[in-house]
Amino acid sequence: MASKAEQAKRLSRRSFLKFVGGASVVGVSLNLTGCGEPLTADKAVGGDGWMPTQYNAPGNWPTNVRGRVPIDPANPAIIRDDQKCILCGQCIEVCEKIQSVYGNYELPIKNEIVCVNCGQCTQWCPSGAITERDDTDKVYKAIADPNITVIVQTAPASRIGLGEEFGMPVGTNVQGKQVAALRKLGFDVVFDTNFTADLTIMEEGTELVKRVKGELKKPIPQLTSCCTGWVKFVEYFYPDLIPNLSSAKSPQQMEGTLMKTYYAEKKNVDPKKIFSVAIMPCTAKKFESQRPEMVSARKALKDSNVSPDVDVVLTTRELARMIKRAGINFAALPDDQYDQLMGSGTGAGAIFGTTGGVMEAAARSAYYLITGQQPPAALWDLTPVRGMQGVKEAAVNIPGVGNVKVAVISGLANARIVMDQIRSGNAPWVFIEVMACPGGCEYGGGQPRASSPPSDEVRNRRAASLYNIDAKAKLRNSHDNPQIKQVYADFLTAPMSEKAEELLHTNYISRAAEFVAKKSDSQLY
Amino acid sequence: MAKGILVDIPKCIGCESCSVACKLWNELEWDPQEKTKTATDRAKEPNNGLWPEEWTSINRYDLQKNGSSVGRYVKTQCMHCEEPACVSACFSKAIQKLPQGPVVYDQKLCVGCRYCMMACPFDILRYEWKKAIPGVRKCQMCPTRVANNMETACTSVCPTGAITFGDRDQLLAEAKKRIKGNGYIDRVFGEKEAGGTSWLYISDTPFDKMRFRTDVTTKPLPSYTEGYMKMTPFIGGAWATILAGLYIFNNKNKEPLE
Repeated sequence: MASKAEQAKRLSRRSFLKFVGGASVVGVSLNLTGCGEPLTADKAVGGDGWMPTQYNAPGNWPTNVRGRVPIDPANPAIIRDDQKCILCGQCIEVCEKIQSVYGNYELPIKNEIVCVNCGQCTQWCPSGAITERDDTDKVYKAIADPNITVIVQTAPASRIGLGEEFGMPVGTNVQGKQVAALRKLGFDVVFDTNFTADLTIMEEGTELVKRVKGELKKPIPQLTSCCTGWVKFVEYFYPDLIPNLSSAKSPQQMEGTLMKTYYAEKKNVDPKKIFSVAIMPCTAKKFESQRPEMVSARKALKDSNVSPDVDVVLTTRELARMIKRAGINFAALPDDQYDQLMGSGTGAGAIFGTTGGVMEAAARSAYYLITGQQPPAALWDLTPVRGMQGVKEAAVNIPGVGNVKVAVISGLANARIVMDQIRSGNAPWVFIEVMACPGGCEYGGGQPRASSPPSDEVRNRRAASLYNIDAKAKLRNSHDNPQIKQVYADFLTAPMSEKAEELLHTNYISRAAEFVAKKSDSQLY
Repeated sequence: MAKGILVDIPKCIGCESCSVACKLWNELEWDPQEKTKTATDRAKEPNNGLWPEEWTSINRYDLQKNGSSVGRYVKTQCMHCEEPACVSACFSKAIQKLPQGPVVYDQKLCVGCRYCMMACPFDILRYEWKKAIPGVRKCQMCPTRVANNMETACTSVCPTGAITFGDRDQLLAEAKKRIKGNGYIDRVFGEKEAGGTSWLYISDTPFDKMRFRTDVTTKPLPSYTEGYMKMTPFIGGAWATILAGLYIFNNKNKEPLE
């Protein structure tokens, strides 16, 4: 006991502090001289997350599907939410392999990020990271303004897609409900783009006939110009074929122009107070409406206060969002009718929404324009141009001209094959229809997602619905549309008249200087 | 063999896969404000868009080349110096360089003095000012992946091969091969800068126009202080010896305390 107490006495506070201080000095010295445990990889911060498995293999083997497409933050058509991106590589797959845009330019890029705005990447993106640029706010604002007449047009394909957003089977035709929903949302006038689809056929068909007869000094084959993604693709990659493109505007732009000229004149509405909205199955149409030359109404009226021909383009998905947001019970809506003047189209206009449709419609009216007679029933069911093959060929027998060879293409990679053939000078076709999206507008970049990635099964069902509209239509030829006859009689005089040229035709610019096209021997990617 | 990454600036298309991969792999939080910024916005920011939760960022510079305007994307992140100044500045050994190349940080060892931030010649390190227990944040060059013979998250997703992972020596040789002709600038940024870095950059537009620190010394930064800093233990030891000697001398003839 005594010895223990003696020991405790000897360890005074002073000597304890001395011991601790000495140990610290020794510890710090050892540390400074580099002793101590080295840091290992797993002690470092980070590395707690995950990556898709394709990126997690040892060694640096580049996977075939990796990364994602570049999207300019200022892209008018599509946007991406980085937080939702999982780097699955689907967007790059569709852009490169199906649309042949990504990977078809040399690096370094110049200034612009090459994009045709087709929006197929929005359909392939499994996490919803890439979507259309939402323009609904602009529309809500216009609707809320009582001084503005908000006129809306609906594309041929939106009516067979919209129902899917409300639980209806793929391809359900909801034309009447769509009109009713638009009216409920507060749109003042509802027009049908099928009307201008017919008008496009009249202009484009007349142009074709003039080319064939040699009255128009422009090359053959004539290429369709209703698909904006396709037009931009030609401007980028085949600027030498721009003269082959029909100068006719797309149905959307024709309708927008006529809203602010023809409709304004007829109904005595101030064109400056018209706000024109387009419901489209397409993201590229957003880009098209913003093209600087798409201000024909402003030019024709010589009034700089008239806004562009089409003020806002909404995709089918955006319209569905607006309907959902308004709490409208879509399935229970009664069918409503389009406003007239520019609100009825023929069966030929309806099938504009699918691959081959423009060709079929054009064949019917070209027959009429050349022979002056109604087309035979065979042209009402031009099966060779129907279906989901990327490149389809057909021959249309027109008396006095003979067999006219035509081609129908959907998917831009398929278009490359045919365009290269035209370039090399061995193209037997007179007229070629191209739609950028595989299957055409019915599975365009702005349509509801019905399968992921898009499948031909869905495409066929949607196309069948459009062909069904055509089969049931009373009028199946664009030139028989009474409203088309009326617009020519009252306003435009004749197809490709001076006024029609001014309002319904456009010109294209070469975008070849924006990038360097891929050289065939390039090993860059 | 020390690993490195080669950045071929003209090959970058600005898809920003790399920064998303970094976010995914390192579980970095998304800042709603940062998310909306574009590569052009970030290029104008004083910190190049690097934040505690943004370890890498893509900056876009609009430049003139041969009379036409061109856009170039530059990936910024920690350069992973061969002889890092931050490591030499860190007295608690929270930042160290691994033999494979990555300069890594262990928050458990960090005392929060931020000497490393002062020391960094490229102004890369960021401090978590908003956190109760803050740490220093920067690119770690995916040390667990590199240690497992995988390439870094960012390089694994690059669709154009603008960033390539490999042995630094081989990449340096590859970089020198690429800059011969093809309009590249005759400089491999990172070969000698700050004594050499694991990340190497080659470009066809001037580096100084893209906010590269082109005036950085080629001498390894720790070598500036090494001469006298290496004396520290000896001086410490000498002082300890002198003071101990004085103590013993002073107490030699003293009577023990009662």
